Amino acid sequence: MKNIEVPALARVEGEGGLYIGLENGKAVEIRLDIYEPPRFFEGFLKDRFLQEVPDITARICGICPVAYQMSSAYALENALGVKISPQARSLRRLMYCGEYIESHALHIYMLQAPDLLGKESALELAAEAPEVVKTALRLKKIGNELLKAIGGRSVHPVNVCVGGFYSWPEAKSLKDLLPDLEWGLNASLDTVKLALTLPYPYLEIDYEFVALHHPDEYGVIEGDVLSSNGRKLSISEYENGYIEEHVKHSNALHSHTVDSNTYLVGPLARLNLNHEQLMPNARKALADSGIKLPLKNPFKSLIARAIELVHFYEEAIQLIKEYKPTGPAHVELKLKAGEGAGATEAPRGLLYHRYKIDGNGMIQFAKITPPTAQNLPRIEADLFALTPRIVNMPEAEATLTAEHLVRSYDPCISCATHFLKLKVEEK
Amino acid sequence: MTKVAVIGIGQSLRGDDAAGLEAVRQWKEKFPETANRPEVQIEASELPGLALLDVLCKVNAAILVDAIQGSDKPGTVHRLGEAELASFTSDSKSAHGWGVAETLRLGSQLISTSPKIRIVGINSEQAEMGANLSNAVREAMPKACEAIEEEVNELLK
Repeated sequence: MKNIEVPALARVEGEGGLYIGLENGKAVEIRLDIYEPPRFFEGFLKDRFLQEVPDITARICGICPVAYQMSSAYALENALGVKISPQARSLRRLMYCGEYIESHALHIYMLQAPDLLGKESALELAAEAPEVVKTALRLKKIGNELLKAIGGRSVHPVNVCVGGFYSWPEAKSLKDLLPDLEWGLNASLDTVKLALTLPYPYLEIDYEFVALHHPDEYGVIEGDVLSSNGRKLSISEYENGYIEEHVKHSNALHSHTVDSNTYLVGPLARLNLNHEQLMPNARKALADSGIKLPLKNPFKSLIARAIELVHFYEEAIQLIKEYKPTGPAHVELKLKAGEGAGATEAPRGLLYHRYKIDGNGMIQFAKITPPTAQNLPRIEADLFALTPRIVNMPEAEATLTAEHLVRSYDPCISCATHFLKLKVEEK
Repeated sequence: MTKVAVIGIGQSLRGDDAAGLEAVRQWKEKFPETANRPEVQIEASELPGLALLDVLCKVNAAILVDAIQGSDKPGTVHRLGEAELASFTSDSKSAHGWGVAETLRLGSQLISTSPKIRIVGINSEQAEMGANLSNAVREAMPKACEAIEEEVNELLK
């Protein structure tokens, strides 16, 4: 076979290509070409007031704006030494549930499932199995409705601020969502059952998994940065363990550990490291699945997402039932010069922010490390591991399998360009 | 009651791509009696993706007002039906390329009684980042407004 080349990857967020250079049937060069232009968000933030940062950084991504709001808010709160109220913290988790629900439902059904079912797109899937796609769209919409109830609109919600929230959402608008959320919990349990029946290509990788870990809850907004290799760092120590660098073929930075290892962030990492903290229905769905952890097949990220979908529906229901806002929605800020880091778990993995501010609360320095940038070297390494299994396939099938691998990561190229096409070439 | 959605589509920051948004805005001003009728729902969509389905499943008919590319002169106003939609299919398969044509196709597969679709298309000259409407497209606005008005009235008959 000649080289494998995908000039523009389909069903990923953003613009990128894939190139696999083959020599005597072995991969000699693999590149995820990230030609989506760099976006300079960190530069835009300089000399902006800190309270603008959550809403500016939210614009980095239309699928996971909440993650950007959360990581920036926590980073700036740490810079000011501010601790938000327990109620605001619970509302942040609830808002994150909305984002996980819409993002995971989209990826499971519309982006990755067509690969596993041999369909070109969700459109083809809809023609054959309209009820499945209807379920998917309703599952996704409920997440968007939750975001709207908290943040005023379903895409790019507002309301998160440094110190908490600008205002408490009305309890009624949240409680009105409970019947839909209960339906979603059942539909997500069915999603796990469906996920377990899909035909996943075989690939097992000994990953270093990295995720936020919190002893009392599924790690999303606070905790330690835990690695499956045993490295445990506080969020403020993140850069002591994980380093970003430029590579020639990519407008996205690539990350590696201080030991120069690639590592994996995202649903597989979270499930493997944090499964004990799953909500009861999600834990039971995992136990009933018969899956032995750690799950090491990147294609099976879909199963991890499905189990997380159960978790976040379940957690959303609990948080709404407990929701009784009292007192101010945010802490009054006392401005001072400082520096702070924040990290939360975006649906695609750990999202790290660090800021320096002056005495007037103006941003002097910003650093944003999105999950896809951390995963890019790992995706390339996975493609090296996959290549021996696909070189003898017909070219179209080989190309599709490689593309599928990339899509299973749910890469957000737009976010990472601060990412994909496939090109295989016989030398 | 026949419910009709008038949906302006486009990116307000990309030159003539905003033609659909601007045409719907001007039509609202010029024909308030029609625009304010209870059976008329007006939407501005800068992200014409899956969210468009939510609108389409609640109406009997929808008029999509959008900028189009083609060989006709910039500012040419077209009134098209569903049969002509194939020419709107984007060749991009990325999530970013998911557009009006894909959403309408998905809608026709999923919505039991798909709404009747009409399109008012305005030929664009440029879609540059940060640019305003081109003169040709700006001058076509009265004609686009009249096309929307006629389409709405025909659908409400």
